[in-house]
Amino acid sequence: MKETQAYIERIKRVNRGYQRLDLAVDKSLASMLAGQAMLVRAIDKDYDVERWDPYLRELWFPVETPASNIIVVERPARRHYSPGQLLSIIGPIGKAFRFRQKLRNILLIAYNTTPSALLLMLPPLLAKGVGITLVLSGSARRYDTNHLPEEVEVIRADDDLTWSDMVMTLGWADQVFVLVGPGNELTYFGDIMAVLRDRHHDIPANYLFGIIRRDLPCGVGACGACSLNVGRGQKRQCIDGPAFDLTELRLN
Amino acid sequence: MAIEITRPGKYSLILSTPVMPAAGTLGFGDDYRALLDYDKLGAMVTNPVTIDPWRPASGTRIVALDAGVLAHTGLPNPGLAHVISQYRRAWANMPIPVILHLVALSVSHIKRALDLIDEVDEIAAVELGLRDDISQPEAVALVEAASRMEKPLLARLPFYESSQLALPIADAGVDALVLTAAPRGTARDNHTGRLVSGRVYGPLVKPIILRLVGRLRREIPAEIPVIAAGGIHSPQDARDYIDAGAIAVQVDTATWAQPRMLERIARDLGGWIATRQKDALSDEWNPDMGQTEAIERRPNPPQGVNPKQAGDGFR
Repeated sequence: MKETQAYIERIKRVNRGYQRLDLAVDKSLASMLAGQAMLVRAIDKDYDVERWDPYLRELWFPVETPASNIIVVERPARRHYSPGQLLSIIGPIGKAFRFRQKLRNILLIAYNTTPSALLLMLPPLLAKGVGITLVLSGSARRYDTNHLPEEVEVIRADDDLTWSDMVMTLGWADQVFVLVGPGNELTYFGDIMAVLRDRHHDIPANYLFGIIRRDLPCGVGACGACSLNVGRGQKRQCIDGPAFDLTELRLN
Repeated sequence: MAIEITRPGKYSLILSTPVMPAAGTLGFGDDYRALLDYDKLGAMVTNPVTIDPWRPASGTRIVALDAGVLAHTGLPNPGLAHVISQYRRAWANMPIPVILHLVALSVSHIKRALDLIDEVDEIAAVELGLRDDISQPEAVALVEAASRMEKPLLARLPFYESSQLALPIADAGVDALVLTAAPRGTARDNHTGRLVSGRVYGPLVKPIILRLVGRLRREIPAEIPVIAAGGIHSPQDARDYIDAGAIAVQVDTATWAQPRMLERIARDLGGWIATRQKDALSDEWNPDMGQTEAIERRPNPPQGVNPKQAGDGFR
């Protein structure tokens, strides 16, 4: 991890709600893996002027790494960015998602949030022949998926996180990664665990992962703001996450 | 340059530069090693440590504010014994003194803590964190218990009662006062819609605590050093605190937003104080100042700040 500077090279609108930014970054960031993120804040070209609003850095997950010094992120279309805009980046933050060695099918669930943090895993998993199903629920149903690879099966679930063939989809998946909207994520994870237990009964270890994306003040494990209770101990989102086995995470 | 940030006595703490992180911002060990050069700082102040393990706060812990942040982490830590065993090696390898921030809950807790801390050479000093609602007799009892330790003792005062507590605590045996813990506030978390209470950080905190430091500096004896903490986000902020009579400063959440700022403040303040001591022009400061032979003198060399003569702005 280190602090580097980057700039926005290109901006492309990908659907009604989101735009993609091509960032020219330090090479240390271009090798980021799915699950890893960056803490980003815009900086002035005049380095002597320090602006403190916004104060905290934002957590950005790459969605593509097309070249050795380019990464692509997806941001809401309502946010204004300009080509050439300078960014200060701390990263990479966190650990890469851990997939089973003999992964054949994976289920991705986005509930009340954009699935952006899940998208970087799509190309490498598809290249390995892994079957991918993306379930969009709650406000995530509005996410337009036309720009995603055709091989990804997209299911728009009901608000109560049910969909047709749900039992079959769950039985078919070797691993499940769940992304929920910010705030109350542990409660959402608890709800999702309950839904899955209804259909799947036994939830084994290394099967169901929840992705935590809380605001990270420091990103290096210093401030303790992202500490989570795991079993008898504690883990930190920025060091040990963002994906946590929901059978280990204490949800209350 | 060497700056003694504690009052003269059996135990003293001398730093190479009067800038350090505030408790709670840089972690327990060298978590920031990839982003900061610890060598440039005066000391490392650990996150708050309790005798027994504390779990993180439930619910929202961070609320972004306009030019600031509200934080309610719950001071998660694995307990003093575990912190010592886990971070002792990192402290030994640090190029700067380590100040352990101990959360003062009761006299019995302090006594248990001292048994552990006195054994650890890697801890150069202890900063006692006093809770917001502490009474004066309680604070004095805690400081008296902690002052039996064979290390320099700093006490971080709560924001609200700092003027009432400062003198009694100084008399009870602290070697330096840290002014102050961040003020508390309440803000709405836009993600959950709930109101969250916690400590408020940001540049706007500085004018409030700067006034407090200037006022207290006049009220307490000059031999009791004051370390200022609150809202420092630039080298000029730190200089302002020194002008108000602080011997050193602690930088808090600015490091989260801009890690290099802490280093920049340390370099600037160290050089600025060196030039003041040598009657040199501040813009001629350089790291080899001691070898500078010909320095143009100002007509009226800047004097060290006498707290009794602090400007009206601090009253």
